[in-house]
Amino acid sequence: MKDNSNISQELLETIERYYNDTMSKQERIDFELRLDESSEFRTQVEDIKTLILGIENQSLKEQLDVFHKDIPTHSETPSASGIFTFRKLAAAVIILLAVTGFWWFNTPQNDKLYSKYFTPDPGLPTTMSSNSNYDFYDAMVNYKQGDYQTAIAKWDAIQPKNDTLNYFLGVAYLANKNEAKAIGFLNKATQNTDFPLLNDAHYYLGLAYLKDGDIDFAKKNLQKSSNENSKKLLEKLD
Amino acid sequence: MREAYKIDHQLQLITAIKDNNSIALKEFYTSNYPKIEALILKNSGSQEHAKDVYQEAFISMWNNVRNELFTPQNDSALQGYLYQIAKNKWMDILRSKRFRTTQALTEERMVYLKQDDTVDDHNAYDEKLNTTMTAFKDLGQPCKDLLKTFYFEKKSLREIALDLNIEETSVRNKKYRCMEKLRAIVLASKS
Repeated sequence: MKDNSNISQELLETIERYYNDTMSKQERIDFELRLDESSEFRTQVEDIKTLILGIENQSLKEQLDVFHKDIPTHSETPSASGIFTFRKLAAAVIILLAVTGFWWFNTPQNDKLYSKYFTPDPGLPTTMSSNSNYDFYDAMVNYKQGDYQTAIAKWDAIQPKNDTLNYFLGVAYLANKNEAKAIGFLNKATQNTDFPLLNDAHYYLGLAYLKDGDIDFAKKNLQKSSNENSKKLLEKLD
Repeated sequence: MREAYKIDHQLQLITAIKDNNSIALKEFYTSNYPKIEALILKNSGSQEHAKDVYQEAFISMWNNVRNELFTPQNDSALQGYLYQIAKNKWMDILRSKRFRTTQALTEERMVYLKQDDTVDDHNAYDEKLNTTMTAFKDLGQPCKDLLKTFYFEKKSLREIALDLNIEETSVRNKKYRCMEKLRAIVLASKS
């Protein structure tokens, strides 16, 4: 690095934008033109890039040491610690049994059924192609990662809403433990009888009503769904 | 459909790694370690060796993913890639220790050495990066924290300002001054 080439705050931030790929098209074109023309500029950009990379690499390195502490250690004098871990394990199992038992006998039947049958829809595949529905699939990535809050916020912003959107909003709200909102969106999604995911929509709507404590509506919707799980759940409800 | 779904999962993993998503990084780090530890312990290494080699390999993998040098071909592609890098690194170490005496350069060995080069190449650039890493390691804690939050955790100036309970502009100025400080240390350790 050359020490006589001063780097201004503005230049630093421009290079950051370049590095993070947040430049506008025009700015990028101008920037790359300047890169081509001036070797001094190239060195400056290279220097800053190395600084940022160094920060990131060292940060990661230090982070890894923290992660490493959380890897369960094993194979240390197995004879003595073997019994010890067995005891710990036994204690853990007993506590777990006690807790689940307590939970099992203290939650109402419907909640139990709900928890047994509710798993969020796996979502649609998000391929990284140039998709016209970018916003929708962007939120789908959050949804799949279990970040329902963000997915809901992004989907909520899309207008107008179609069946698929209403459906996933409903499931996301349900996964996020907001039955009332889920019922609203899923109801909308079940209006159109040509909707390809209609079966699933009725199933989740049934679950939402079940969670909400409205058994009649739950049954009505489950009856409209030909899902395997719907039938099983219906039998249990009768 | 099923295959597409799997590769899709790898793409998500790669996106998360590029974003330095700490949950994803930790999950990936801890879940892949046992296999590599087993390999190194079986091949006359210690747990300490295993940790060092694995961390080095992990950082290489991370850099290559970010520089688009890696594209997933199947569901466990990135896991396999990490394993391969760690294995090669450990082979390097074994070779340098045990085979320091002359060894015939057979054709087979040539191929091995060549493919090694593509996985990690030591050059002047790496050295420059190492200098910067050391400089950052020894940077004062306040600057270190700030730069780490901004560049590694990718928090915005506004978020940092909220966390520290100061003005956004002063975060911006501090960040600049810290970068200048870091740069000065790098320059000083060069000459």
